[in-house]
Amino acid sequence: MTLLRALVAAGPSARVVATRVATPRTSALLARRLISTTPCRHAVDPNLKRTEPGDYLPDPVAPRSPGIKTAMLSAADEPGKDFDPYKDGPSAIDKAVHLFFFTEIIRGMWIVLEQVFRPPYTIMYPFEKGPLSPRFRGEHALRRYPSGEERCIACKLCEAICPAQAITIESEARLDGSRRTTRYDIDMTKCIYCGFCQEACPVDAIVETQNQEFSTETREELMYNKEKLLANGDAAEAEIAANLQADHVYR
Amino acid sequence: MLRPTFRRLLNSPSTKALFRGDALAVHRRYMATNAEEGGIQDPATYCSDLVRKRDYESFLISQFWPRDLREHFIALRAFYVELASVQESVSNITLGKMRMQFWRDALKGIADGRPPRHPIALALGRACQAANLQTYHLKRIVDARDAELDTPAHMTLDSLTSHAESTSSTFLYLQLSLLSLSASSTLSHAASHLGVAQGITTLLRALPYHASQGRMVIPAEITARHGVSQEEVFRKGGQAKGIEDAVFEFATVANDNLQTSLEMLKTEVPGRARPVFLNAVPTRLYLERLEAANFDAFNPSLHGRGWQLPWRIWSSYYRGRF
Repeated sequence: MTLLRALVAAGPSARVVATRVATPRTSALLARRLISTTPCRHAVDPNLKRTEPGDYLPDPVAPRSPGIKTAMLSAADEPGKDFDPYKDGPSAIDKAVHLFFFTEIIRGMWIVLEQVFRPPYTIMYPFEKGPLSPRFRGEHALRRYPSGEERCIACKLCEAICPAQAITIESEARLDGSRRTTRYDIDMTKCIYCGFCQEACPVDAIVETQNQEFSTETREELMYNKEKLLANGDAAEAEIAANLQADHVYR
Repeated sequence: MLRPTFRRLLNSPSTKALFRGDALAVHRRYMATNAEEGGIQDPATYCSDLVRKRDYESFLISQFWPRDLREHFIALRAFYVELASVQESVSNITLGKMRMQFWRDALKGIADGRPPRHPIALALGRACQAANLQTYHLKRIVDARDAELDTPAHMTLDSLTSHAESTSSTFLYLQLSLLSLSASSTLSHAASHLGVAQGITTLLRALPYHASQGRMVIPAEITARHGVSQEEVFRKGGQAKGIEDAVFEFATVANDNLQTSLEMLKTEVPGRARPVFLNAVPTRLYLERLEAANFDAFNPSLHGRGWQLPWRIWSSYYRGRF
Protein backbone atom coordinates (compact mmCIF):
# COMPACT_ATOMS: atom_id res chain seq x y z
CA MET A 1 0.00 0.00 0.00
CA THR A 2 2.74 2.40 0.83
CA LEU A 3 4.68 1.60 -2.25
CA LEU A 4 1.56 1.83 -4.36
CA ARG A 5 0.98 5.27 -3.06
CA ALA A 6 4.58 6.13 -3.84
CA LEU A 7 4.13 4.84 -7.37
CA VAL A 8 1.06 6.97 -7.95
CA ALA A 9 2.63 10.01 -6.37
CA ALA A 10 5.88 9.56 -8.28
CA GLY A 11 4.37 10.42 -11.65
CA PRO A 12 7.19 11.34 -14.08
CA SER A 13 9.86 9.27 -12.42
CA ALA A 14 7.76 6.11 -12.64
CA ARG A 15 10.46 4.30 -14.53
CA VAL A 16 12.92 4.74 -11.71
CA VAL A 17 10.34 3.47 -9.29
CA ALA A 18 9.56 0.54 -11.55
CA THR A 19 13.21 -0.36 -11.69
CA ARG A 20 13.53 -0.21 -7.94
CA VAL A 21 10.46 -2.19 -7.24
CA ALA A 22 10.87 -4.80 -9.96
CA THR A 23 11.79 -8.23 -8.57
CA PRO A 24 11.99 -11.65 -10.18
CA ARG A 25 8.84 -12.68 -8.27
CA THR A 26 5.47 -12.38 -9.92
CA SER A 27 3.13 -9.54 -9.07
CA ALA A 28 5.89 -7.92 -7.16
CA LEU A 29 4.34 -4.59 -7.73
CA LEU A 30 1.98 -5.01 -4.84
CA ALA A 31 4.20 -7.16 -2.61
CA ARG A 32 4.99 -5.68 0.79
CA ARG A 33 8.48 -5.80 1.88
CA LEU A 34 8.77 -7.23 5.35
CA ILE A 35 11.58 -8.44 7.52
CA SER A 36 10.15 -11.90 7.63
CA THR A 37 10.00 -12.25 3.86
CA THR A 38 13.42 -10.81 3.23
CA PRO A 39 16.09 -13.42 2.55
CA CYS A 40 18.95 -13.39 4.98
CA ARG A 41 21.95 -11.69 3.58
CA HIS A 42 24.50 -13.70 5.46
CA ALA A 43 23.08 -16.94 4.26
CA VAL A 44 23.76 -16.25 0.62
CA ASP A 45 26.41 -18.46 -0.90
CA PRO A 46 29.03 -16.23 -2.53
CA ASN A 47 29.83 -18.90 -5.11
CA LEU A 48 26.39 -18.68 -6.61
CA LYS A 49 25.83 -16.33 -9.45
CA ARG A 50 23.37 -13.75 -8.31
CA THR A 51 20.44 -13.39 -10.69
CA GLU A 52 18.58 -10.62 -8.90
CA PRO A 53 19.23 -7.01 -9.71
CA GLY A 54 21.94 -5.56 -7.56
CA ASP A 55 19.53 -3.92 -5.21
CA TYR A 56 21.27 -5.45 -2.25
CA LEU A 57 23.99 -4.23 -0.04
CA PRO A 58 27.29 -6.06 -0.59
CA ASP A 59 28.04 -8.82 1.91
CA PRO A 60 30.20 -7.44 4.69
CA VAL A 61 31.65 -10.80 5.76
CA ALA A 62 32.44 -13.95 3.94
CA PRO A 63 30.50 -17.00 5.25
CA ARG A 64 32.59 -19.40 7.25
CA SER A 65 30.59 -22.50 6.45
CA PRO A 66 31.87 -24.82 3.76
CA GLY A 67 28.70 -24.67 1.73
CA ILE A 68 25.01 -24.41 2.08
CA LYS A 69 24.42 -27.96 0.92
CA THR A 70 26.35 -29.52 3.72
CA ALA A 71 25.95 -26.96 6.49
CA MET A 72 22.29 -26.05 6.17
CA LEU A 73 20.39 -29.32 6.34
CA SER A 74 16.70 -28.76 6.72
CA ALA A 75 14.17 -30.93 8.48
CA ALA A 76 13.32 -32.55 5.18
CA ASP A 77 16.85 -33.90 4.88
CA GLU A 78 16.53 -35.98 8.08
CA PRO A 79 17.23 -39.66 7.27
CA GLY A 80 14.40 -42.14 7.78
CA LYS A 81 11.88 -39.34 7.74
CA ASP A 82 9.46 -41.23 5.58
CA PHE A 83 9.47 -44.38 7.75
CA ASP A 84 6.39 -44.70 10.07
CA PRO A 85 6.97 -47.27 12.86
CA TYR A 86 3.30 -47.27 13.92
CA LYS A 87 2.00 -47.89 10.48
CA ASP A 88 0.84 -51.46 11.12
CA GLY A 89 0.00 -51.41 14.91
CA PRO A 90 -1.35 -49.46 17.92
CA SER A 91 0.27 -46.21 18.94
CA ALA A 92 2.53 -45.87 21.98
CA ILE A 93 -0.30 -44.26 23.97
CA ASP A 94 -2.64 -47.14 23.17
CA LYS A 95 -0.04 -49.62 24.35
CA ALA A 96 0.64 -47.70 27.61
CA VAL A 97 -3.06 -47.45 28.37
CA HIS A 98 -3.46 -51.18 27.95
CA LEU A 99 -0.41 -52.00 30.04
CA PHE A 100 -1.33 -49.76 32.94
CA PHE A 101 -4.99 -50.67 32.94
CA PHE A 102 -4.11 -54.32 32.95
CA THR A 103 -1.69 -54.05 35.88
CA GLU A 104 -4.25 -51.93 37.67
CA ILE A 105 -6.75 -54.75 37.38
CA ILE A 106 -4.18 -57.26 38.61
CA ARG A 107 -3.31 -55.11 41.58
CA GLY A 108 -6.96 -54.63 42.43
CA MET A 109 -7.54 -58.35 42.27
CA TRP A 110 -4.54 -58.91 44.54
CA ILE A 111 -6.06 -56.68 47.21
CA VAL A 112 -9.30 -58.60 46.91
CA LEU A 113 -7.35 -61.82 47.35
CA GLU A 114 -5.61 -60.44 50.45
CA GLN A 115 -8.91 -59.47 51.99
CA VAL A 116 -10.28 -62.96 51.44
CA PHE A 117 -7.77 -64.29 53.95
CA ARG A 118 -8.23 -61.49 56.51
CA PRO A 119 -10.80 -61.33 59.30
CA PRO A 120 -13.67 -59.05 58.33
CA TYR A 121 -13.74 -55.46 59.50
CA THR A 122 -17.48 -55.34 59.61
CA ILE A 123 -19.16 -55.21 62.99
CA MET A 124 -22.56 -56.81 63.04
CA TYR A 125 -23.85 -53.80 64.90
CA PRO A 126 -26.78 -54.74 67.08
CA PHE A 127 -25.01 -57.95 68.09
CA GLU A 128 -21.42 -56.73 68.10
CA LYS A 129 -20.33 -53.32 69.32
CA GLY A 130 -17.27 -51.22 68.78
CA PRO A 131 -15.04 -50.07 71.64
CA LEU A 132 -16.15 -47.11 73.76
CA SER A 133 -13.96 -44.87 75.87
CA PRO A 134 -14.47 -45.24 79.62
CA ARG A 135 -15.17 -41.52 79.54
CA PHE A 136 -17.96 -41.91 77.00
CA ARG A 137 -20.95 -39.84 77.99
CA GLY A 138 -24.22 -41.51 77.20
CA GLU A 139 -27.51 -42.05 78.95
CA HIS A 140 -27.77 -40.75 82.50
CA ALA A 141 -28.15 -42.81 85.64
CA LEU A 142 -28.51 -42.20 89.36
CA ARG A 143 -26.39 -44.43 91.56
CA ARG A 144 -27.04 -46.02 94.90
CA TYR A 145 -24.75 -47.09 97.70
CA PRO A 146 -24.26 -50.84 98.00
CA SER A 147 -26.62 -50.69 100.96
CA GLY A 148 -29.34 -49.68 98.52
CA GLU A 149 -29.59 -46.09 99.66
CA GLU A 150 -29.64 -43.34 97.06
CA ARG A 151 -26.45 -41.37 96.75
CA CYS A 152 -28.12 -38.16 95.73
CA ILE A 153 -28.31 -35.66 98.59
CA ALA A 154 -30.32 -33.02 96.72
CA CYS A 155 -27.55 -30.43 96.75
CA LYS A 156 -28.77 -29.23 93.34
CA LEU A 157 -25.28 -28.53 92.03
CA CYS A 158 -26.08 -30.43 88.82
CA GLU A 159 -29.22 -28.41 88.32
CA ALA A 160 -27.27 -25.20 88.79
CA ILE A 161 -24.44 -26.11 86.44
CA CYS A 162 -26.50 -27.67 83.64
CA PRO A 163 -25.94 -25.39 80.63
CA ALA A 164 -29.01 -26.68 78.82
CA GLN A 165 -31.19 -26.45 81.93
CA ALA A 166 -32.30 -30.00 81.35
CA ILE A 167 -32.36 -31.02 85.02
CA THR A 168 -35.22 -30.25 87.41
CA ILE A 169 -34.98 -31.14 91.08
CA GLU A 170 -37.41 -30.80 93.92
CA SER A 171 -36.42 -31.92 97.37
CA GLU A 172 -37.70 -32.20 100.88
CA ALA A 173 -36.30 -33.18 104.25
CA ARG A 174 -37.02 -36.64 105.52
CA LEU A 175 -37.88 -37.56 109.05
CA ASP A 176 -34.33 -38.59 109.80
CA GLY A 177 -33.14 -35.11 108.83
CA SER A 178 -31.61 -36.02 105.49
CA ARG A 179 -32.58 -34.16 102.37
CA ARG A 180 -33.77 -36.25 99.48
CA THR A 181 -35.10 -35.49 96.05
CA THR A 182 -38.79 -35.98 95.53
CA ARG A 183 -38.39 -35.22 91.89
CA TYR A 184 -35.32 -35.60 89.70
CA ASP A 185 -36.16 -35.08 86.04
CA ILE A 186 -33.83 -34.89 83.09
CA ASP A 187 -35.16 -33.76 79.74
CA MET A 188 -33.04 -35.90 77.44
CA THR A 189 -34.13 -33.85 74.44
CA LYS A 190 -32.48 -30.81 75.96
CA CYS A 191 -29.38 -32.52 77.30
CA ILE A 192 -26.18 -31.76 75.39
CA TYR A 193 -24.14 -34.51 77.08
CA CYS A 194 -21.45 -32.16 78.35
CA GLY A 195 -20.94 -34.21 81.51
CA PHE A 196 -20.95 -31.19 83.83
CA CYS A 197 -23.59 -32.75 86.09
CA GLN A 198 -21.33 -35.73 86.60
CA GLU A 199 -18.35 -33.53 87.37
CA ALA A 200 -20.25 -31.25 89.72
CA CYS A 201 -21.75 -34.05 91.79
CA PRO A 202 -19.92 -34.31 95.13
CA VAL A 203 -21.25 -37.79 95.85
CA ASP A 204 -20.88 -39.33 92.36
CA ALA A 205 -24.63 -39.84 92.25
CA ILE A 206 -25.50 -38.65 88.77
CA VAL A 207 -23.32 -40.26 86.10
CA GLU A 208 -23.44 -40.69 82.39
CA THR A 209 -23.28 -44.34 81.43
CA GLN A 210 -21.84 -45.95 78.35
CA ASN A 211 -25.27 -46.61 76.98
CA GLN A 212 -25.94 -44.78 73.74
CA GLU A 213 -28.90 -46.81 72.55
CA PHE A 214 -31.92 -45.30 74.15
CA SER A 215 -33.89 -44.12 71.18
CA THR A 216 -37.60 -44.08 71.73
CA GLU A 217 -40.69 -43.95 69.62
CA THR A 218 -42.25 -40.97 71.32
CA ARG A 219 -40.80 -37.75 72.59
CA GLU A 220 -42.41 -38.15 76.00
CA GLU A 221 -40.33 -41.24 76.70
CA LEU A 222 -37.21 -39.06 76.69
CA MET A 223 -38.38 -37.09 79.73
CA TYR A 224 -36.60 -39.19 82.33
CA ASN A 225 -37.79 -39.20 85.91
CA LYS A 226 -36.11 -40.40 89.06
CA GLU A 227 -37.37 -43.98 88.81
CA LYS A 228 -36.03 -44.37 85.31
CA LEU A 229 -32.65 -42.90 86.29
CA LEU A 230 -32.32 -45.11 89.34
CA ALA A 231 -33.26 -48.14 87.25
CA ASN A 232 -30.52 -47.19 84.78
CA GLY A 233 -28.08 -46.95 87.65
CA ASP A 234 -29.03 -50.36 88.99
CA ALA A 235 -28.63 -51.91 85.56
CA ALA A 236 -25.20 -50.45 84.88
CA GLU A 237 -23.70 -50.22 88.36
CA ALA A 238 -20.75 -52.54 87.81
CA GLU A 239 -19.85 -50.83 84.57
CA ILE A 240 -20.15 -47.35 86.07
CA ALA A 241 -18.04 -48.28 89.03
CA ALA A 242 -15.35 -49.74 86.81
CA ASN A 243 -15.22 -46.61 84.69
CA LEU A 244 -14.96 -44.15 87.54
CA GLN A 245 -11.55 -42.70 88.09
CA ALA A 246 -9.68 -44.20 90.97
CA ASP A 247 -6.16 -42.94 90.72
CA HIS A 248 -3.27 -41.73 92.73
CA VAL A 249 -3.49 -38.41 94.52
CA TYR A 250 -1.66 -36.02 92.27
CA ARG A 251 -1.64 -32.97 94.52
CA MET B 1 -10.68 -75.84 106.12
CA LEU B 2 -9.40 -72.57 107.52
CA ARG B 3 -10.20 -71.50 111.01
CA PRO B 4 -12.74 -68.64 111.04
CA THR B 5 -10.39 -66.12 112.63
CA PHE B 6 -7.70 -66.82 110.10
CA ARG B 7 -10.15 -66.56 107.29
CA ARG B 8 -11.33 -63.21 108.61
CA LEU B 9 -7.74 -62.08 108.66
CA LEU B 10 -7.31 -63.20 105.07
CA ASN B 11 -10.42 -61.37 103.99
CA SER B 12 -9.70 -58.18 105.85
CA PRO B 13 -8.91 -55.26 103.56
CA SER B 14 -5.53 -54.65 105.15
CA THR B 15 -4.30 -58.17 104.48
CA LYS B 16 -5.59 -58.08 100.94
CA ALA B 17 -3.85 -54.76 100.43
CA LEU B 18 -0.61 -56.18 101.73
CA PHE B 19 -0.86 -59.14 99.39
CA ARG B 20 -1.47 -56.85 96.48
CA GLY B 21 1.98 -55.48 97.05
CA ASP B 22 3.76 -53.05 94.87
CA ALA B 23 1.67 -52.85 91.74
CA LEU B 24 1.50 -49.63 89.83
CA ALA B 25 -0.08 -46.87 91.87
CA VAL B 26 -0.89 -44.62 88.98
CA HIS B 27 -3.76 -45.24 86.59
CA ARG B 28 -5.09 -48.30 88.26
CA ARG B 29 -8.75 -48.94 87.92
CA TYR B 30 -10.79 -50.75 90.46
CA MET B 31 -14.33 -51.73 90.83
CA ALA B 32 -15.34 -48.80 92.99
CA THR B 33 -17.94 -50.81 94.80
CA ASN B 34 -17.53 -54.20 96.29
CA ALA B 35 -19.39 -55.97 99.00
CA GLU B 36 -17.21 -54.42 101.69
CA GLU B 37 -17.85 -50.81 100.82
CA GLY B 38 -20.49 -49.16 102.89
CA GLY B 39 -22.46 -46.08 102.10
CA ILE B 40 -24.12 -43.76 104.52
CA GLN B 41 -24.76 -46.55 106.97
CA ASP B 42 -21.07 -47.30 107.22
CA PRO B 43 -19.05 -44.20 106.40
CA ALA B 44 -15.89 -45.59 107.96
CA THR B 45 -15.74 -48.46 105.47
CA TYR B 46 -16.41 -46.09 102.60
CA CYS B 47 -13.55 -43.85 103.71
CA SER B 48 -11.07 -46.65 104.26
CA ASP B 49 -11.94 -48.07 100.86
CA LEU B 50 -11.36 -44.69 99.27
CA VAL B 51 -8.04 -44.21 101.03
CA ARG B 52 -6.90 -47.71 100.14
CA LYS B 53 -7.61 -47.10 96.48
CA ARG B 54 -6.37 -43.58 96.08
CA ASP B 55 -3.70 -43.23 98.72
CA TYR B 56 -2.26 -46.59 99.59
CA GLU B 57 0.60 -45.15 101.64
CA SER B 58 -1.76 -43.47 104.06
CA PHE B 59 -3.71 -46.68 104.25
CA LEU B 60 -0.55 -48.49 105.36
CA ILE B 61 0.19 -45.75 107.88
CA SER B 62 -3.35 -45.94 109.22
CA GLN B 63 -2.60 -49.47 110.40
CA PHE B 64 -0.26 -48.02 113.03
CA TRP B 65 -2.78 -45.63 114.49
CA PRO B 66 -4.35 -46.47 117.82
CA ARG B 67 -7.38 -48.61 117.17
CA ASP B 68 -9.88 -46.10 118.49
CA LEU B 69 -8.47 -43.24 116.41
CA ARG B 70 -7.78 -45.11 113.18
CA GLU B 71 -11.26 -44.50 111.87
CA HIS B 72 -10.89 -40.74 112.46
CA PHE B 73 -7.50 -40.62 110.79
CA ILE B 74 -8.96 -42.37 107.77
CA ALA B 75 -11.89 -39.98 107.71
CA LEU B 76 -9.50 -37.02 107.68
CA ARG B 77 -7.38 -38.57 104.99
CA ALA B 78 -10.43 -39.36 102.86
CA PHE B 79 -11.46 -35.73 103.19
CA TYR B 80 -7.99 -34.64 102.13
CA VAL B 81 -7.92 -37.05 99.19
CA GLU B 82 -11.38 -36.01 98.07
CA LEU B 83 -10.38 -32.35 98.02
CA ALA B 84 -7.05 -33.05 96.35
CA SER B 85 -8.69 -34.97 93.54
CA VAL B 86 -11.39 -32.40 92.79
CA GLN B 87 -9.10 -30.56 90.44
CA GLU B 88 -8.42 -33.63 88.34
CA SER B 89 -12.07 -34.58 88.08
CA VAL B 90 -13.53 -31.29 86.90
CA SER B 91 -13.13 -29.80 83.48
CA ASN B 92 -13.56 -26.16 84.39
CA ILE B 93 -12.95 -23.94 87.38
CA THR B 94 -16.59 -23.13 88.08
CA LEU B 95 -17.38 -26.79 88.71
CA GLY B 96 -14.43 -27.08 91.05
CA LYS B 97 -15.48 -23.94 92.90
CA MET B 98 -18.96 -25.34 93.34
CA ARG B 99 -17.61 -28.50 94.86
CA MET B 100 -15.40 -26.49 97.18
CA GLN B 101 -18.45 -24.51 98.21
CA PHE B 102 -20.20 -27.78 98.92
CA TRP B 103 -17.36 -28.74 101.25
CA ARG B 104 -17.39 -25.32 102.93
CA ASP B 105 -21.09 -25.75 103.58
CA ALA B 106 -20.44 -29.29 104.75
CA LEU B 107 -17.88 -28.02 107.29
CA LYS B 108 -20.38 -25.47 108.49
CA GLY B 109 -22.93 -28.23 108.81
CA ILE B 110 -20.47 -30.42 110.71
CA ALA B 111 -19.77 -27.58 113.13
CA ASP B 112 -23.52 -27.21 113.69
CA GLY B 113 -23.91 -30.97 114.10
CA ARG B 114 -25.82 -31.40 110.85
CA PRO B 115 -23.37 -32.92 108.39
CA PRO B 116 -24.68 -33.52 104.85
CA ARG B 117 -25.39 -37.11 103.92
CA HIS B 118 -22.03 -37.64 102.34
CA PRO B 119 -20.11 -40.61 103.72
CA ILE B 120 -16.93 -38.58 104.13
CA ALA B 121 -18.76 -35.69 105.76
CA LEU B 122 -20.45 -38.08 108.15
CA ALA B 123 -17.16 -39.73 109.07
CA LEU B 124 -15.53 -36.34 109.45
CA GLY B 125 -18.36 -35.20 111.67
CA ARG B 126 -17.76 -38.17 113.93
CA ALA B 127 -14.05 -37.43 114.04
CA CYS B 128 -14.69 -33.77 114.92
CA GLN B 129 -17.03 -34.78 117.69
CA ALA B 130 -14.64 -37.37 119.09
CA ALA B 131 -11.42 -35.40 118.97
CA ASN B 132 -12.51 -31.78 119.06
CA LEU B 133 -10.76 -30.94 115.79
CA GLN B 134 -10.50 -27.31 114.89
CA THR B 135 -12.70 -26.42 111.95
CA TYR B 136 -10.17 -23.70 111.20
CA HIS B 137 -7.66 -26.26 109.90
CA LEU B 138 -10.21 -28.04 107.75
CA LYS B 139 -11.32 -24.72 106.32
CA ARG B 140 -7.75 -23.79 105.57
CA ILE B 141 -7.33 -26.93 103.46
CA VAL B 142 -10.51 -26.16 101.52
CA ASP B 143 -9.45 -22.56 100.93
CA ALA B 144 -6.00 -23.62 99.75
CA ARG B 145 -7.49 -26.13 97.32
CA ASP B 146 -9.91 -23.51 96.13
CA ALA B 147 -7.08 -21.07 95.48
CA GLU B 148 -5.18 -23.81 93.68
CA LEU B 149 -8.02 -24.13 91.16
CA ASP B 150 -7.28 -20.59 90.00
CA THR B 151 -3.52 -20.88 89.90
CA PRO B 152 -2.39 -24.47 89.41
CA ALA B 153 1.21 -23.40 88.71
CA HIS B 154 3.41 -21.46 91.08
CA MET B 155 5.80 -18.72 90.11
CA THR B 156 7.96 -18.77 93.18
CA LEU B 157 9.07 -21.39 95.63
CA ASP B 158 7.68 -19.28 98.47
CA SER B 159 4.13 -19.41 97.16
CA LEU B 160 4.41 -23.15 96.65
CA THR B 161 5.77 -23.59 100.16
CA SER B 162 2.94 -21.61 101.67
CA HIS B 163 0.47 -23.66 99.64
CA ALA B 164 2.02 -26.91 100.88
CA GLU B 165 1.88 -25.55 104.42
CA SER B 166 -1.80 -24.89 104.17
CA THR B 167 -2.53 -28.32 102.72
CA SER B 168 -0.19 -31.12 103.80
CA SER B 169 1.17 -29.37 106.91
CA THR B 170 -2.33 -28.49 108.01
CA PHE B 171 -3.29 -32.10 107.58
CA LEU B 172 -0.43 -33.06 109.88
CA TYR B 173 -1.58 -30.48 112.45
CA LEU B 174 -5.00 -32.10 112.33
CA GLN B 175 -3.40 -35.46 113.01
CA LEU B 176 -1.53 -34.00 115.96
CA SER B 177 -4.69 -32.56 117.41
CA LEU B 178 -6.39 -35.90 116.83
CA LEU B 179 -3.76 -37.30 119.20
CA SER B 180 -4.15 -34.29 121.54
CA LEU B 181 -0.54 -33.30 120.86
CA SER B 182 -1.14 -29.95 119.20
CA ALA B 183 0.11 -28.09 122.28
CA SER B 184 3.71 -29.16 121.58
CA SER B 185 5.37 -26.46 119.51
CA THR B 186 8.32 -28.68 118.58
CA LEU B 187 6.05 -31.28 117.06
CA SER B 188 4.04 -28.63 115.26
CA HIS B 189 7.16 -27.06 113.87
CA ALA B 190 8.48 -30.42 112.72
CA ALA B 191 5.10 -31.18 111.18
CA SER B 192 5.18 -27.92 109.27
CA HIS B 193 8.52 -28.78 107.64
CA LEU B 194 7.47 -32.35 107.00
CA GLY B 195 4.31 -31.08 105.31
CA VAL B 196 6.32 -28.95 102.90
CA ALA B 197 8.54 -31.91 102.06
CA GLN B 198 5.49 -34.06 101.54
CA GLY B 199 3.79 -31.51 99.32
CA ILE B 200 6.82 -31.11 97.09
CA THR B 201 7.35 -34.85 96.87
CA THR B 202 3.76 -35.44 95.82
CA LEU B 203 4.16 -32.87 93.07
CA LEU B 204 7.45 -34.39 91.92
CA ARG B 205 5.89 -37.83 91.84
CA ALA B 206 3.05 -36.54 89.76
CA LEU B 207 5.33 -34.55 87.44
CA PRO B 208 4.92 -36.98 84.50
CA TYR B 209 1.15 -36.93 84.96
CA HIS B 210 0.98 -33.15 85.17
CA ALA B 211 3.31 -32.77 82.20
CA SER B 212 1.03 -35.03 80.18
CA GLN B 213 -1.82 -32.67 81.08
CA GLY B 214 0.22 -29.65 80.03
CA ARG B 215 0.96 -28.31 83.52
CA MET B 216 4.31 -27.49 85.00
CA VAL B 217 4.41 -28.10 88.72
CA ILE B 218 7.97 -27.01 89.39
CA PRO B 219 7.91 -23.28 90.24
CA ALA B 220 8.85 -21.01 87.38
CA GLU B 221 11.59 -19.55 89.53
CA ILE B 222 13.48 -22.85 89.50
CA THR B 223 12.79 -23.83 85.91
CA ALA B 224 13.88 -20.39 84.70
CA ARG B 225 17.15 -20.71 86.56
CA HIS B 226 17.95 -23.91 84.65
CA GLY B 227 16.66 -22.68 81.32
CA VAL B 228 13.93 -25.33 81.12
CA SER B 229 11.41 -24.80 78.35
CA GLN B 230 7.96 -25.91 79.50
CA GLU B 231 6.90 -26.92 76.03
CA GLU B 232 9.94 -29.13 75.71
CA VAL B 233 9.09 -30.87 78.98
CA PHE B 234 5.53 -31.51 77.81
CA ARG B 235 6.77 -32.96 74.54
CA LYS B 236 9.94 -34.79 75.45
CA GLY B 237 9.49 -35.50 79.15
CA GLY B 238 12.73 -36.55 80.76
CA GLN B 239 14.83 -35.74 77.72
CA ALA B 240 14.08 -32.02 77.99
CA LYS B 241 17.09 -29.83 78.53
CA GLY B 242 17.74 -28.84 82.12
CA ILE B 243 14.76 -30.67 83.62
CA GLU B 244 16.97 -32.95 85.69
CA ASP B 245 18.73 -29.98 87.24
CA ALA B 246 15.40 -28.35 88.04
CA VAL B 247 14.10 -31.60 89.55
CA PHE B 248 17.28 -31.86 91.55
CA GLU B 249 16.91 -28.37 92.95
CA PHE B 250 13.22 -28.92 93.73
CA ALA B 251 13.95 -32.25 95.39
CA THR B 252 16.73 -30.63 97.39
CA VAL B 253 14.22 -28.20 98.87
CA ALA B 254 12.03 -31.15 99.85
CA ASN B 255 14.99 -32.98 101.34
CA ASP B 256 16.10 -29.91 103.32
CA ASN B 257 12.66 -29.60 104.83
CA LEU B 258 12.56 -33.31 105.60
CA GLN B 259 15.98 -33.22 107.27
CA THR B 260 15.04 -30.14 109.31
CA SER B 261 11.93 -31.88 110.49
CA LEU B 262 13.74 -35.11 111.40
CA GLU B 263 16.50 -33.12 113.10
CA MET B 264 13.91 -31.71 115.49
CA LEU B 265 12.44 -35.12 116.16
CA LYS B 266 15.80 -36.59 117.12
CA THR B 267 15.58 -35.22 120.66
CA GLU B 268 12.23 -36.57 121.70
CA VAL B 269 9.31 -38.14 119.93
CA PRO B 270 6.60 -39.26 122.26
CA GLY B 271 5.45 -42.74 121.33
CA ARG B 272 2.01 -41.37 120.67
CA ALA B 273 3.27 -39.04 117.93
CA ARG B 274 4.92 -41.78 115.95
CA PRO B 275 2.02 -42.49 113.56
CA VAL B 276 2.00 -38.82 112.54
CA PHE B 277 5.62 -38.83 111.58
CA LEU B 278 5.32 -42.10 109.74
CA ASN B 279 4.23 -39.79 106.93
CA ALA B 280 7.90 -38.97 106.49
CA VAL B 281 8.67 -42.53 105.37
CA PRO B 282 7.02 -42.53 101.93
CA THR B 283 8.45 -39.08 101.28
CA ARG B 284 11.92 -40.16 102.20
CA LEU B 285 11.62 -43.38 100.23
CA TYR B 286 10.57 -41.51 97.14
CA LEU B 287 13.44 -39.04 97.46
CA GLU B 288 15.89 -41.93 97.81
CA ARG B 289 14.51 -43.60 94.73
CA LEU B 290 14.61 -40.33 92.84
CA GLU B 291 18.27 -40.00 93.76
CA ALA B 292 18.93 -43.55 92.61
CA ALA B 293 17.26 -42.69 89.30
CA ASN B 294 19.63 -39.72 88.98
CA PHE B 295 16.79 -37.20 89.40
CA ASP B 296 15.02 -38.29 86.28
CA ALA B 297 11.46 -37.83 87.51
CA PHE B 298 10.13 -39.46 84.35
CA ASN B 299 11.95 -42.71 85.00
CA PRO B 300 9.47 -45.62 84.90
CA SER B 301 11.07 -47.15 87.99
CA LEU B 302 9.55 -44.31 90.02
CA HIS B 303 5.99 -44.93 88.91
CA GLY B 304 5.34 -47.96 91.09
CA ARG B 305 4.98 -47.66 94.82
CA GLY B 306 8.02 -49.77 95.57
CA TRP B 307 8.24 -53.06 97.39
CA GLN B 308 10.10 -51.61 100.35
CA LEU B 309 7.28 -49.36 101.46
CA PRO B 310 5.36 -51.67 103.83
CA TRP B 311 8.60 -52.89 105.40
CA ARG B 312 10.02 -49.41 105.84
CA ILE B 313 6.85 -48.14 107.46
CA TRP B 314 6.72 -51.13 109.80
CA SER B 315 10.35 -50.87 110.83
CA SER B 316 10.22 -47.08 111.23
CA TYR B 317 7.31 -47.39 113.54
CA TYR B 318 9.02 -49.90 115.83
CA ARG B 319 12.43 -48.25 115.76
CA GLY B 320 11.00 -44.78 116.17
CA ARG B 321 13.32 -43.45 113.46
CA PHE B 322 11.93 -42.11 110.24
